[in-house]
Parts: sequence; C-alpha cells; structure tokens
Amino acid sequence: MEKYGIGQPVRRKEDVRFLTGTGTYVDDITDEALAHAVVLRSPHAHAKILSIDTSEAESMPGVLGIITGKDWAAEDFQFIPTKSAVAKKIDGTPLNQPPRHCFAIERARYVGEPVAMIVAETREQAQDAAEVIDVDYEELPAVTDLRKTIETGAPQIWDDIEGNLCLDFELGDKEATDKAFADADHVVSLDLVNNRVTATPIETRGAVATYDADTDSYKLQNATQNVHANRATFADVLKIPADSIHHVAPDVGGGFGAKNSSYPEPPILLYAAKKLGRPIKWINDRNEGFQSDTHGRAQFSTVELALDKDGKFLGLRTKTIGDIGAYCWTIGPFTPTGGSARTQGGAYFIPAMYYSSVAVFTNTMPTDPYRGAGRPEASYQIERIIQHAATTLGFDPIELRRKNLMPEDSLPRKTPMGLDVDCGNFPEVFERTLKMTDREGYASRVEESQKKGLRRGFSIAAYLECTGGAPKEFAGISFGKDGSATLRVGSHSTGMGHETSKAQILAHTLGINFDKVDFIQADTKATPIGGGHGGSRNLEVGGNAVLKAAKEVLEKAKVLAAHLLNSNADDMNFADGTFTDVKTEQTISMDEVIAASFEKGRLPEGMEPGCMDTESIFEREIISCPNGSHAAEVEVDPETGMVHVQHYWVIDDFGPIINPMLADGQVMGGVAQGLGQALMEEIVYDEESGQLVTGSLMDYALPRADSMPHMELGYYEDAPTAKNPLGVKGAGEAGCCGAPPAIVNAVLDALKEDGVTHIDMPLTPEKVWRAISEAAK
Amino acid sequence: MYDFTYHRPDTLDEAVKIFSDADDPQFMAGGQTIIPVMKQRLAMPSDVIDLGKIGELQGISIVGDTLTIGAMTSHAEVASSADVKKAVPALAQLANDIGDPAVRNRGSIGGSIANNDPAADYPAALVALGATIHTTSREIAAEDFFTGLFETALDEGEIIAKIAIPVPDKAAYMKFPQPASRFALVGVFVAKSGDQVCVAVTGAGPCVFRATDFEKALEKNFSADALDGISISSEELSTDIHASAQYRASLVTTLARRAVENAA
Repeated sequence: MEKYGIGQPVRRKEDVRFLTGTGTYVDDITDEALAHAVVLRSPHAHAKILSIDTSEAESMPGVLGIITGKDWAAEDFQFIPTKSAVAKKIDGTPLNQPPRHCFAIERARYVGEPVAMIVAETREQAQDAAEVIDVDYEELPAVTDLRKTIETGAPQIWDDIEGNLCLDFELGDKEATDKAFADADHVVSLDLVNNRVTATPIETRGAVATYDADTDSYKLQNATQNVHANRATFADVLKIPADSIHHVAPDVGGGFGAKNSSYPEPPILLYAAKKLGRPIKWINDRNEGFQSDTHGRAQFSTVELALDKDGKFLGLRTKTIGDIGAYCWTIGPFTPTGGSARTQGGAYFIPAMYYSSVAVFTNTMPTDPYRGAGRPEASYQIERIIQHAATTLGFDPIELRRKNLMPEDSLPRKTPMGLDVDCGNFPEVFERTLKMTDREGYASRVEESQKKGLRRGFSIAAYLECTGGAPKEFAGISFGKDGSATLRVGSHSTGMGHETSKAQILAHTLGINFDKVDFIQADTKATPIGGGHGGSRNLEVGGNAVLKAAKEVLEKAKVLAAHLLNSNADDMNFADGTFTDVKTEQTISMDEVIAASFEKGRLPEGMEPGCMDTESIFEREIISCPNGSHAAEVEVDPETGMVHVQHYWVIDDFGPIINPMLADGQVMGGVAQGLGQALMEEIVYDEESGQLVTGSLMDYALPRADSMPHMELGYYEDAPTAKNPLGVKGAGEAGCCGAPPAIVNAVLDALKEDGVTHIDMPLTPEKVWRAISEAAK
Repeated sequence: MYDFTYHRPDTLDEAVKIFSDADDPQFMAGGQTIIPVMKQRLAMPSDVIDLGKIGELQGISIVGDTLTIGAMTSHAEVASSADVKKAVPALAQLANDIGDPAVRNRGSIGGSIANNDPAADYPAALVALGATIHTTSREIAAEDFFTGLFETALDEGEIIAKIAIPVPDKAAYMKFPQPASRFALVGVFVAKSGDQVCVAVTGAGPCVFRATDFEKALEKNFSADALDGISISSEELSTDIHASAQYRASLVTTLARRAVENAA
C-alpha cells in the first residue's frame, strides 16, 4: 500500500490520457449539431460606439445570429460584479465599480473588449460575417500607463469616476512606522516596477453552451478553473436560477488564475444557445487570448526600509499603484490592495510596517489574480530593498538577511500586516538552501565566467507567502462492490495532478487500491459546492476534505468490521488496510468490509447497503504560510546584456509533502513563470494609441526549456502547520514568489562592479546592456 | 483562413502555367510563413501552388568549389548534410538554429529567401558567401536579389530553382535571438575567400546589408581586434519593443567580432 501512500513520488494517473492525446479539452467536443461563435472585439483602446450595422453580416451564408451590446442592453441583463474582498476605500465608502457588462455597449474601453458575437454554422462563416460588421467608432484619447492615468488632465475612462481611481487602501501602523523611520540610522528607498504579464495557458479559453427547452436548463462545458462560483455569477448576470446551469469543466490545459475569472463570453454563449436553439462552441485563439485573458501584476511601488546601524530592520513602508485595467474584474481590485499587503516584509522580522496603495483604471485588459496575486509582488519588494540596502550601505547581503529572518522562537507571531505566521524555521531553511549552493566553489566559478568574458552573480531570497481561495471544500466518496471507489471533489486540477494526490490520500487513509480510485471534479452536478482552484488551496482545503471524508468512512468501517468479527469497535485497530481485534487477533481487510457493506444481511442495525458512501465538507479556518528560500547563480554577457540562469536551488516548507514528484513540478513550473517575469515576459501597450503591442507569441516572450537552469529542490518537512489536519501549507504559487527577486538580485550582484544597482523587470538583454553602458559613463 | 484552390504540380513548367492561369496565385514552399499568414486571414490567395513535389527543386550537391542546394531543400536537410557540413559548416549550423524541429523539417531555403523576412538567417549567409540564385528564367547574384523589406528581385511567376554557393576558406554565423520569436534580432555572417572578406548583417535593418567598413578592416587583418573602434551607424537600423537601433548597432559589432573568432 505505501507505494501509493502519502509522501510517495507516485506517477500521475492522468498523464496516461494527457500524454497519449486522449484527454478531452473543450475543443475536443465535437458534434455535428454544434454552431460556432466568434467574438468581434474592439480594435480601439477607447472609443464611442456610434452605431453597429449588422445587416450585411446577417445575410452571409451560414450565419445564425449576431448579438451586439444593444441587444444585450435590451435584455436588461446584470453586469458582472467584482467580488474583491477589499471593497471599501479608506474613508469607508464603497470602491468605484463601473458596470462590467458582457459587451461594450456605448463605449469600448480596451483593445479586445467584446463588441458583438457572431454565431454561424462554421467558424469560418462566423469569421466572414464578423469582417463585414460595420461598427462606427469615434475614437477617444486613451491612457494605458498606471502612473499617467492618475495625473491631472489624463483621459477619463469613466464619466462618473473622477481621476480614474477605483479605491485607496492602507494596512499597518502608519504612526509607528513613521516613527521607526524617524529614529533609524539608515533609510533606503527604491522604485520598483512589477511588470504586467499574462498566463498564456497552453489551452486557450473556450466553451460549449447547450440549452434544453424541455427543462429550460443549460449545460456549459467551459475551460474554467472554477465551475461553482462562475455558475453563480453567470446565473446572476442572466437572471436565471443557478441550478438551471450544469457547469462542467472537461480537461483544462492550465489556468494559473486566469481561468478563475468570470469572463463575458460564457454568459453570452448561454444566452445565444437559448435564443438560437443550437448548441454553440466558441474557442478563443491565441492572439485573442493576449487581448482578452486577464493580465497579472502591473504594479509600481515605492519601497522604503529603515535599519539601525547594525543592519537590524526597523520599519518597512510601501506605496503602490496597482493597474486594474478598464474595469473591476472578478477580484481585480483585491490584488494591489489586500493581496499585496498581507505578506509585506516576507520572512523577515520587521517591527513596524505600513502599506498603502491605490487601484487605478487604465484603457487596458483588466488584471485579475495570476499565480501568487500580490504575494510575488510583496516578495519582490522586500528582497529587492534588502539587496539595495546591502549594496548601498555596505552590508553583506547574505549576512543582512541572516540577521533579520524571523527567528524560530518568534513564532507563532502575528505580523504588523496581521498575517498569522504559526510555524516554520526560516533561518534553518535559509541555511540549508545556502549549503546546497556550494559557496566554496563560487570563486572559481566566477573566475571561469570571467575567462569567457562573462560576469557571474549569486543571490538568495527568502520568501513567505500565504494561501487563499475559497475556504470550504467538498469531498464525496462512493464505493463499488468490486472494491472500486469514486472520489468527487469540488477542488479543481487544471493539470496539476490532483487525480493522483487525492487518490494517494484516500488509498493511504483507507488502505484501498490506488488504481481503483476514480476521480470526478469540476462538475456542478457531482458536488454541492466547490471552490475550484486558486490560492494554492488544493491540498490545504481540497486534500483535507478528502481526508475528512476518508476518516468518516474509516469510523463507519470500524463499526462494521467489529460487527463482522463479533468484536467491539473500540477493540479495532486499523493498519495497512486491515482491521485487527486487539484482543482476539482476528482480522478483516477494508476491502472485505466494503464488500460486506453491500450485503444487507451482514450489516448491523442502523446500517444500510451503500452505507460506506460518505460526503463531507472541510472548512479552513486560517490560511497557512508556505515559506522557503530560493538561490540563483547567473551569468551575464556584458557585451550583449544576455542573462543565463546557470543554477537554481530551492528549499520549501510546504509542510508534509504528499507527492514529492508533484511538488517538484509545482516548484519548477512556478520558477519558470517567475524566471519569465524576471527576464522576458511583459505585456506592452502602445502609449499613444493604446494598441496591444505584444499581441502574439512572436512578441510576448515566454521561457523555453533552454531558458531553464539546472534545479536542485528540497523540502523542509519538520514544521507541519496545526491549522489543518494534513499539516500542509500550499505549494502552487511559491515558485513565482521566490524566483523574480532571486534572479534579479543575482543579475545585479553580477553587475555590482560595473556600478549597476537597479534594473526594472523584465531584465531584457537591451535593458541590461544599457544599464551597463550607462553605469560606465 | 479563406477558401482557395490547392495545386501540387510535378514540374516547374506545370507550376509556372498554373500560376499564369490563376487570378491571385501564391507559390508555397514549406509554408512556414504563408500558412500562418493565411490562417490569420492576412493573405487570401485564390490558388496555392505547392512546390513540394517538384523533383527539380530538390537536392544538395557539391561540384568543384561550388555547393548547390535545391530551392525546396529543407533546413533540416541543410543542417544534416555531410556536404554542407564539410564545405560550409557555418551554413549547416545556421540551418540547425532556425526555428524548431517542425519548422526545420517543413521550411526550405528557397521559401525563406523568396520571403526575405528582415530577420531571416539565410539572406545574410547568401550575401556573405556571394551565392547565385538560379531561377526559372535567370541567375541573380545574392546581393542583387534581396532588394528591401520582404522584397526580392523575383518577377511575378518566377520560381527559385537552386542556389549556388562558392565554398569559402572560412565562415561563421552569429545570431542573437529575439527573445520571443527567436528570429535573428541581429545576425552576422562573415565569410573569407582568399583576400576577400564579406560581412552581411540580417535582423538589424529592413533588409540584409553588408558592413563594408568591417570588410575593409578584416581584409587587412582577419582578426576580431581589427574591428576595434569600428561600428556601424544606427541611423538606418530598426527600432522595436525588443531592441533599439542603437542596441542593434552594438550587437552588429559584437557578433561580427565573435564570428571572426569562430570562423571555420
């Protein structure tokens, strides 16, 4: 049994279908009855829609129907509301929330905003029709820069929202922090850009909507990572009962937060499917994805650190402008406010902290959570300001970190940001990471690089983040007579391997056959609630739900086992899949107990056939705090500015590791996305026209296999959290919290003798080359 | 993609005839540019004439000091050809670094140079090597062939048959990839034949060009140090989100030096 137990590097069950091309993604759903939809999107960043003439398009071959903003407004549908957990300004008034309808109705406010949906017999026919729709736009001045949008005289995106401001926010003790700065021996300050990026999941967004007139109900097969929450939203928009929509996600090819969002296209499809009486498929293409998938990060911060003469941190003050795009998206306003505030200061002991921010509107695709959603920003800020303090004040960067990490005996501790850091050993994790990096051999590696005309740099970054996402999760277990089990969960894997890790928890707890565990997720009919995916919540909430349900099964099985053995339940010991009566030493296996549970004659009073089937809901009370250290060694070519990350080391404290192979995958993938943000990824809008410049993979750079360094990973498992029964802390977003600062600081370390002290992400070859040239002047 | 008529002739004559009979025809070599462009509906030819089946356009041979490559020879074939590796190893390396395996197996040398993408690799090689482009109607020196941004000396309906390349004493190609597309942000091909040195630059401007100041210096002294203090003007070079003209100019010098150091 332990081969498939908790802690084992079990190979992914789902990979058989993924790697043999037998997965079913939305675009794999084919049916002759399907009609096809195409979205006509605004080509302008800001424009009045004076009129839309669809008459020629409607008469095109195969066209079934065209829906515009005007049609939508006539139906009086609701707008898609933001569900930001921070919804009030500092003065207590609600955030400025413009109505986000599914279409641009009278005015388009970003390139890519839906203007019409065309439904035809084929996708090509729909495209043909889209090309002849005549939209009369009156272009308006646009603003795409987060700093310029709040300047006086900037184009106003919403008539009734002054200064393009969504809300302001603060957290921490301003007075105490100001005092810490006033009393400090040293104060350092740094302006930091957190570049706008996008998730680019390998599967673009898409959906198939079907309407059944007999039952007045809908089925939505959607490439989402959150079926329950989005169903509720879509139902509200369309003013129909939520249970009239059966929302299912088939296999999903990556989400990273971008597929958590409530997008406009699915409700339009539901409406169109009913109106036209046809099932409709819509698949976003890659170029549309860059325009219409939510973006992430997009912050500008001024970070200040106060230190005493010995380098002890006294205070941290951060002021951020967060660009949320043209609308409040699903939880867009939360990221630069509460989301970025919570983990300010990271793994360091800082007695006084104050965070303030504004969320602002621009004529761009809105931002929403992208892997980490605020914690990577906070991690970047603290680690960059520490490196800056070390460089400018003359401290050794490793020593400065060592001196200020939260000591083990300071935990549990509530940080000045209110984060409940219960456990962990940050100094130990830091030292273990450092030990992996072969510091002794570093000088000779620097020499080797120099011989090739290259600079070598090193940095370590400690990170502390926190989990998030929906706090409740459902797990249901049902058994077959043949010893099989079916697990239904409300959590959602978009490729992370939950079918495997959840089956491991089940097999480990009950001693049943791992291979006979079937898995159902992302289906509103299969589970009463479901939190989908987000905030590294899978094991912390979803895994604990499975454990809770499995333990309830175990309790029932113990009663039945005792009955079958004519023993007392209290005398039953369960180990390795077998119940043993501690007094009589009689045994019975879990499989036998489950088989007996289907035979009425073998059951005690009060038990019915099928009684082992169990449904359970777990609720997380407090979010946990994953933490760890990343270290990077880089080579920089000073003549071209090219950066190569040569070697990478990570120790993470995620609590107990359920499957190290899956955890490694999460860390490596997160580091790849962090490396992408650090070195190459950036969504660029033209400042004048508001056009999206990085509209395809020809211009939006993603890391490839040859961008990735050799990585050595390890886990610190000696500090399980008491916040949940599995003791786990969430692994999904950690990689991209640690990687940007580790890599950027390593590059700056490599260039310290050139006099380069700061370069904003992404550290493209030209930016690095230019920084070196300018420092030489 | 819009509808079009697909043709796959067996001979060059047949291809030329189909072309002249069609409304708005388009030759297709490996299709690595035209297919994506058509999928994005940016091109709408009435007829696509696939040159893939024409035997006359295939093959690599070496006769005397001339390497001849058929227009439809794929990048993968050039990269793996023993003849090319022996005669012009820099050319085999160049072909091996184009795109990814799918692109290298479909894309062809003739298609690449007919398209004359400003960031394509082959134009730099052919100009630096002094190649001759043989078409269905004439022979064109490489330097005269590449005339501007996506422009060549080819006439309407003219098809590239093969490329004849004089084998140099030594050569090297250095490419600095654009981070997203991995096309050449700048690519520099240096070839030395006897006393003559040719330095051709791709990616930096709207069309491949020769760095004549570099050539003069290298003809006197074929060493990287000979390029000390010589740079090219950034005035005519391209600026985009990936690189300014000034940065591209700097890369030209850096890559030229490295090409000289690596010439073989």
